[in-house]
Amino acid sequence: MKIGTPKEVLDGENRVAMTPDSALQLQKLGYECGIEAGAGHAAGFSDKDYKDAGVSVHKTAAALWKASEIVAKVRVPTDAEVKRLRDGQTLISFFNPAENETGLKAAAKKGATVVAMEMVPRISRAQKMDALSSMANIAGYRAVIEAGSNFGRFFTGQVTAAGKVPPAKVLVVGAGVAGLAAIGTSTSLGAITYAFDVRPEVAEQIESMGAEFVFLDFEEKQTDGALTGGYASPSSPEFQAKQLEKFREMAPDIDIVITTALIPGRPAPKLWTKDMVEMMKPGSVVIDLAAERGGNCDLTVMDEKIVSDNGVTIVGYTDFPSRMAAQSSTLYATNIRHMMTDLTPEKDGTPVHDMEDDVIRGSTVTHAGEVTYPPPPPKVNAIAQQAKKPEPPKELTPEEKREAEIAAFKKQTINQVTLLGIGGFLLLAVGLVAPASFMQHFIVFVLSVFVGFQVIWNVSHSLHTPLMAVTNAISSIIILGAVIQIGSSSVIITILAALAVFMAAINIFGGFLVTRRMLAMFQKS
Amino acid sequence: MEFGFTTAAYVVAAILFIFSLGGLSGQESAKRAVWYGIVGMAIAVLATLIGPGQVFWPLTIMLIILGAIIGYQLATRVQMTQMPELVAIMHSLVGLAAVFVGFNADIMINQMDALFASNDLVLGAEGAYAALPSEMKDPLSSFGTLIAKKLAVEVTILQVELVLGIWIGAVTFTGSVIAYGKLAGKVDTSAKQLPGGHVLNAGAAGLSLLFTIMYLAGSGSWTLVLLTLLALFIGYHLIMGIGGADMPVVVSMLNSYSGWAAAAIGFSLGNDLLIVVGALVGSSGAILSYIMCKAMNRSFVSVILGGWGGAAAGEQQAVEGEQVAIDADGVAAALNDASSVIIVPGYGMAVAQAQQAVSELTNKMRAKGKEVRFAIHPVAGRLPGHMNVLLAEAKVPYDIVLEMDEINEDFPETDVVIVIGSNDIVNPAAQDDPNSPIAGMPVLEVWKAKQVFVSKRGQGTGYSGIENPLFFKENTRMFYGDAKDSVSKLLPLVE
Repeated sequence: MKIGTPKEVLDGENRVAMTPDSALQLQKLGYECGIEAGAGHAAGFSDKDYKDAGVSVHKTAAALWKASEIVAKVRVPTDAEVKRLRDGQTLISFFNPAENETGLKAAAKKGATVVAMEMVPRISRAQKMDALSSMANIAGYRAVIEAGSNFGRFFTGQVTAAGKVPPAKVLVVGAGVAGLAAIGTSTSLGAITYAFDVRPEVAEQIESMGAEFVFLDFEEKQTDGALTGGYASPSSPEFQAKQLEKFREMAPDIDIVITTALIPGRPAPKLWTKDMVEMMKPGSVVIDLAAERGGNCDLTVMDEKIVSDNGVTIVGYTDFPSRMAAQSSTLYATNIRHMMTDLTPEKDGTPVHDMEDDVIRGSTVTHAGEVTYPPPPPKVNAIAQQAKKPEPPKELTPEEKREAEIAAFKKQTINQVTLLGIGGFLLLAVGLVAPASFMQHFIVFVLSVFVGFQVIWNVSHSLHTPLMAVTNAISSIIILGAVIQIGSSSVIITILAALAVFMAAINIFGGFLVTRRMLAMFQKS
Repeated sequence: MEFGFTTAAYVVAAILFIFSLGGLSGQESAKRAVWYGIVGMAIAVLATLIGPGQVFWPLTIMLIILGAIIGYQLATRVQMTQMPELVAIMHSLVGLAAVFVGFNADIMINQMDALFASNDLVLGAEGAYAALPSEMKDPLSSFGTLIAKKLAVEVTILQVELVLGIWIGAVTFTGSVIAYGKLAGKVDTSAKQLPGGHVLNAGAAGLSLLFTIMYLAGSGSWTLVLLTLLALFIGYHLIMGIGGADMPVVVSMLNSYSGWAAAAIGFSLGNDLLIVVGALVGSSGAILSYIMCKAMNRSFVSVILGGWGGAAAGEQQAVEGEQVAIDADGVAAALNDASSVIIVPGYGMAVAQAQQAVSELTNKMRAKGKEVRFAIHPVAGRLPGHMNVLLAEAKVPYDIVLEMDEINEDFPETDVVIVIGSNDIVNPAAQDDPNSPIAGMPVLEVWKAKQVFVSKRGQGTGYSGIENPLFFKENTRMFYGDAKDSVSKLLPLVE
């Protein structure tokens, strides 16, 4: 079968879904590869590179679509492209299925299978095909570079012969993949980096990247990130107010703000308001990675760079990955290639669309003439649920404490009285039948057992071995019995008693000596 | 008069014994406590020699001296790692002594019976002793006199007591011998039972009861012999059926048995000190067993009735991943970087005699200002407190040797954990896998540390045969080899 990649039709889109490298890998899976002439040009891959990798070059898009059973591309297909789909053809691309109902229906009607790359579930196994993450990574990196090119100062602080330069202060809002990439880039350029996220569990990740987590003094039961597949969920109005207050406090000091806050399926939350921009120093930069969904900043204009009245540059580009087309094409093409590997278990050039597989089922949005979006929840939870933090022990009021004590005391009393009652009754029962001479000894026995119980509870654990050695030595008190009997007139009794004396003597001396040896070794430092 | 003196001496001895046991609550007072025990024993034996056992001094003294020499040799020659075996084998001596004394009591009863019969009297009948001619009374030993004076009911009680003493003594004897064999590696350590299992034990116990009744009914001494054989079998079979990992509980249980046997014999001899001490030992052993069972989260009954083998409720979780090995350089590098280290010793350290090397490593790291501590699980080793004794022998200060409860919360802040020859006590399956045979047993949470090194001889599953997911964790590295060699290799590398 043939996998074909057309040239992206959207203006300014430089990426391409197949690179010469990925084509080689795809051929190993048994596929033929084709490409529209000039498709890789903007990303730095010439037609010749492709030809060298064994890829056939088709002159027009129409020819390519016709020749390919599987079409891999980057951007959401245009209406014209959807029309090109035919029965049995497979399209692998970003598709934005949540807001592209007409596209879904049209593709399903055509009988084509559409694999939407943004629908790849966020589970460990599928990370290698998670194009959103690889694109976000690039966007985060590029955002810092973009900020740097619009920012008139160093990132890192320097003391030079020509004077002291303060370090830039960068605030990253939203610590998803893009945010973390931005944090990493920014800290490695030497800026003081702060980061904020509504999910408290990412604080550790933020700190691991070298940024400081902006901590909100706010108690709220946050939805566990694990339940939403690692994405943020909307927060309460009180929380938002607190968050804005914190940003307002920070705004005058911050040189560069990079906002990456997105909530799946919703417009971007407004986090960097107009008044915050006004508080910033002239020359500061705001990079809004959420511009495509309306922007996190009030002033953001999609796809444009503007300068506010007080001289703050606000960048609302949505094509950061495309601005690094060589890098993003390589990563995206690899994601596609991994997807094909999963679709081709036999490596024979024939895709097997296993709708039982979590990853394939999740990312397939139309199949066999049906719209299969949205998919059922995946069987595997993306991230292990966080262990419930134990509730801090409740502070008891003095009355409650008193009550608890009384209750415990009562319970203890009842237990003891019951035990004593049963024990006493049993003793009485024995006493009724047994002769007095026996009872005398029996009382001694019961008391001794009691003393033994009381004494042993206090023995420290590390001394259990010496304790056993001592009790072993002491248990050879049986020697008394033998000594009493040894003076008997009967020969057998004397012999047996003598043996008993002998053995018990070994035990006495051996037991005590060993115990002493052991105890002599315990010493303090 | 002489008995008054003996009784007074017995009271002193009993109090000394109680002090001796109670004094073991702390390391320092324990050293004094042993002397209490020794003095108590000396007083008891002397008082008995002077008092009721005045005949045959030379033989008795000679035997005691002979026993002392052997005991001294045993105690001084034994390696600290062989301590469990020594304690176990010494229990068997007490058990056997109890059996002998019990049999003697029976023989004496028979003799008295014959004596009374030859004078046309019946043992136990009212006024029979008074009717006995005085020339017959005189040669009787003190024990004989004691029996001769008894009433019929008292003789029956005496017989019950001596049956108990013999039975428990015999169980203790074979049980201890098998426990010794298992601990010394001379008997297969896995849980083994003859076909029939517990039914066989129950049957033997039932037969024992039958013979007891027959013996009390006057069937003669042969029932007593059969009974002893049955008890010997039960002791053997019971302990054979218990897996090696449960041996600490078994040793402590046998300790308890030997105490009860002494107490039972004390009843039959009418000797209060025997009763007191027997009861002390019996109850202390029982509590110790209970404490240990609690530490393993297992019921006492389930330990006694068979080893780990019990039918698991379901499939055990399969372990994924692989064990990653590391060499001495890697471990040493991590130790050099670490500021806090916890060492978790287990039976493997005892087997390899590695405690000296471990102690040296500890000193070296402490000299560098690192925090080094030891985490001891209650059932580490083959005897309760086994690890404490070994580390003490190697002169590891006992204030850095901590118990599980004291240290378990510190693992997340610890840089490096070194597990030396322990397995089940650091097995996370006890917490994670409800179907694991050790599910619910408290374990040392070493996997929470930043890095874990496991010193182990090979990839085997070890004593209990349970796979350990710890070895497959990402932060775990396997440091294969004999524990002593491994630790010795680290010594020159740790700076």
